[in-house]
Parts: sequence; structure tokens; C-alpha cells
Amino acid sequence: MIVYDFVRPSGLDHVSQLLASNPGRSKLIAGGTDLLVQLREESEALKSIELVIDLSALAHELATVKEEDDALVIGALVTHDMGERHPLIRREFPHLSAACASVGSPQIRHLGTLGGGVCNGSPAADPVPALISCDTDVLIHGTKETRSQPLLDFCARIGKDALADDEFVTGFRVKKLARSAKTAFVKLGRRKALAVSRLNVAVVVISDGADRIESARLAPGCIFRVPGRVTAAEQYLTGKAVSREAFAEAGEIVAHEMIERTGYRWSTPYKEIAVKAIVADALCHATGLEVF
Amino acid sequence: MSQFDKIAVSFNLNGKDISVRTLPHRRLIDLLREDLHLVGTKEGCGVGECGACTVIVDGKAVASCMMLAGQVEGKRVVTIEGAGLEDGTLDPVQQAVLDHLAIQCGFCTPGFVMSAKALIDENPNATLPEIRRAISGNLCRCTGYEQLAQAIYQAAQIAAEELDKKNQAVTG
Repeated sequence: MIVYDFVRPSGLDHVSQLLASNPGRSKLIAGGTDLLVQLREESEALKSIELVIDLSALAHELATVKEEDDALVIGALVTHDMGERHPLIRREFPHLSAACASVGSPQIRHLGTLGGGVCNGSPAADPVPALISCDTDVLIHGTKETRSQPLLDFCARIGKDALADDEFVTGFRVKKLARSAKTAFVKLGRRKALAVSRLNVAVVVISDGADRIESARLAPGCIFRVPGRVTAAEQYLTGKAVSREAFAEAGEIVAHEMIERTGYRWSTPYKEIAVKAIVADALCHATGLEVF
Repeated sequence: MSQFDKIAVSFNLNGKDISVRTLPHRRLIDLLREDLHLVGTKEGCGVGECGACTVIVDGKAVASCMMLAGQVEGKRVVTIEGAGLEDGTLDPVQQAVLDHLAIQCGFCTPGFVMSAKALIDENPNATLPEIRRAISGNLCRCTGYEQLAQAIYQAAQIAAEELDKKNQAVTG
């Protein structure tokens, strides 16, 4: 059994001080729904842990959703349950709300947090593609400075050099979408509750009044090593009329890119067909077309 | 034994403010079962997937195997032992589970009751689909889901009627 000390920090600076003075020996706990599983499994990466710092003690500061001029600032400790229900998130990013609603079970959604989900770095995390499909910056607190970093860059560097020893994530600044933007999140899991996504995708579609696509964002989850968008499919859709045929082709492009980036694996014959379908479904959902 | 000293945790448990000292790596379920001998809360999977260990923390159903004991500092925790009234009256969910014979082996029952109670306390007008979603994180190995859903629906209706009566008494 892995044993460790437990501390409730008094504020953001205290967290950074604790992290800085215990490099490689400390771990933050937010909702705990990933960490406690990894501790129980005696994960190799956690064997050197001597201190667990309870970030959830700072919920009053970090479990908040605030509106800035052109963005929402979503605190790292906003739970999946809050993400699903919060009126500002529902209004601005309905696909993020839907992604949060599809996580785990009520008991997990009441504990698990958006910040924890991003920092855990699982390619199957449901809210991550929704955040990636928007312009999202990660807000980072350290002893010397607070800074922000685009989520795409951050995700590519998780587990490497995304954060200095004294730094941790306090939240996300998510730029509001254009008024005409339509969004959707679609997930494929083995069953409705408690299933980790096999595949998921978040889409944002901006079209003019005449149903011509001005721009699109496609962020599939689970299929790449690090979360990302598929710009080839986004470019293909730009300027096209909203149609099932165009959406099916976008699905083809995403499936092609999956194989390009990750190679042909044992699961590819299934995933190739499934990813085409969920991308097309999500685009249909977003734009109000009948799903395939 | 841990080389780390015990930590102090103060919280409200089943309506009473308590302070305990426990090992820093203890989970909430360990604190409840091992330290406080409240063994009504069951541990099934230990990884947050079965719902047997469900308790209510600050009004929300959570998996007590997914929280460290120290994380309940200052919070309100309700376990199955605190679901009913002190005089022994059962919570409407508990009574409905008995009335509908919605028990087989009983291991999952405390978890189901706490998930359902958290829902009904928040929303007595819960619909059957809302009830099914609220217990979607609870597994019953004996597969008695239909009886449980019906029992919880009845408990919700009773709670909603009582709330109506109370509201009428206030406005009348």
C-alpha cells in the first residue's frame, strides 16, 4: 500500500510552496477519481509520493465559473456535475455541458473536476475534446508568476514539461464562440453509464444564414496520443453547404488522419468505421440534420 | 503502519459535529468503516464503479472510496446509518425499498438508498428517467433494478406530496 502525508493548503501560493519544496514527492488531489484508482493500483509513477496536497480545500476559489468580456473563466475545481448544469456553460458551450454529462456516473461527476481531467492526461477524457474545439487557455499558478498557455500546447506537454515543479492549473479561459456557432458532442462507450469512451468527438460549426459553412472545428478524442483537432477535415468543410454528404466526407478525412497519425492497429478496422460515423453524426447533430 | 502522523478531521456526520484523528492515507470509506465502525456503507469495487460505497457529502451522492478522509473537513456527511430519523423512522426510500421487496442479497442496497435519497432531497418531483439516471452509478449483482426504480419513484411521490402539504400549511 502506498502511504503518504496529507495537507490542506491555505491558499494558491501555499500550494506552489508545497509543490516547490517537495518535487517528485508530492501529488495534488482535486476530485480524486483518477488519483485514488492509481494509488489503489500502486501505479509505478506514484510509488515515490510522500505528500498529497488537497486542492479541493480551495473550492471556494477554484470551483467557480465567471464571465469575462469575450470568455468564460472556468475554475479547475469545477466538477463534471457543475459543468453539466452551470447556466453559463450551458449557454456558451452546450457541447462541453454534454461532454461533462457523459462522464462516469453521478457519484463520479459530483467529485471529478475539469482541471483534474485535463491534468490526468487520459486521451479518453470526455470534456477535453470540447475544450479543444474552443479557443481554450490553461491558467497556471506558480511561486513567481501566473501565466496561461493554449490548451493544445499544454496537452502535448503533459507529463513532460507542461508545468514547472511549483506550478499547477487553476482553471481555463475559454473564448466564447460566434453567435451563429452550433456545437455537438458525441460519445461511443460500451454502455451509457460508467463507460470510458472508446471514441468521442466535439464539433463546432459556424455557418452563414444560407447554410454555408464559414468554419468548423473537429476535435476527436481517444484516437490520438494527445488531444488535437483535424485541420484537414476543418478546411474541407469550409465553404461547403451543410449536407450529409459533406459531413460523411469529413468523417472519412478524420478516419484517414487517425491511421496516418497512429498507424494501423488491431482495433483499426472497427475504429475506422466508427470514427467516420460519430464525426458525421456530431456534425448532423450540431447543424440540425437528421442523423445517419 | 504509516510513518506519517495521524491528521485531525472535523466534520458533520449524520447530523453531529465530530472531530477524529485518522491516518493521512485513509479514504473516506476506511474512516467510516474501520475507524468509526459504521459498516452500513459497503465497499464493492474500490475504484468508483459499483456505487456500493455511496454516501452523501454536502447534499451530493459521492463514492466514499474515491475521497480521502481529510477531504471531508468542514463538510456534511450522511451515511446509511443517518438516512432515517433518530427515533428509528425509516427514510421514505428505505420504507419503499421494503414495500417493493427491492432487495435480494442486500449488498448494494445502502448505496442505492443514498443515491436515491440525494436525488429526492434535491428534487422530490424527480421523474422515472431522472431516477434511473441517479442510480446509473449503482450496480446490483442480483439485477433487481426494476423493483428499485419503482420503489424510488414511490418514495419520490410521497416526498413530493409531503412537500406540497408543508407548502400549503405555510401559505394557508
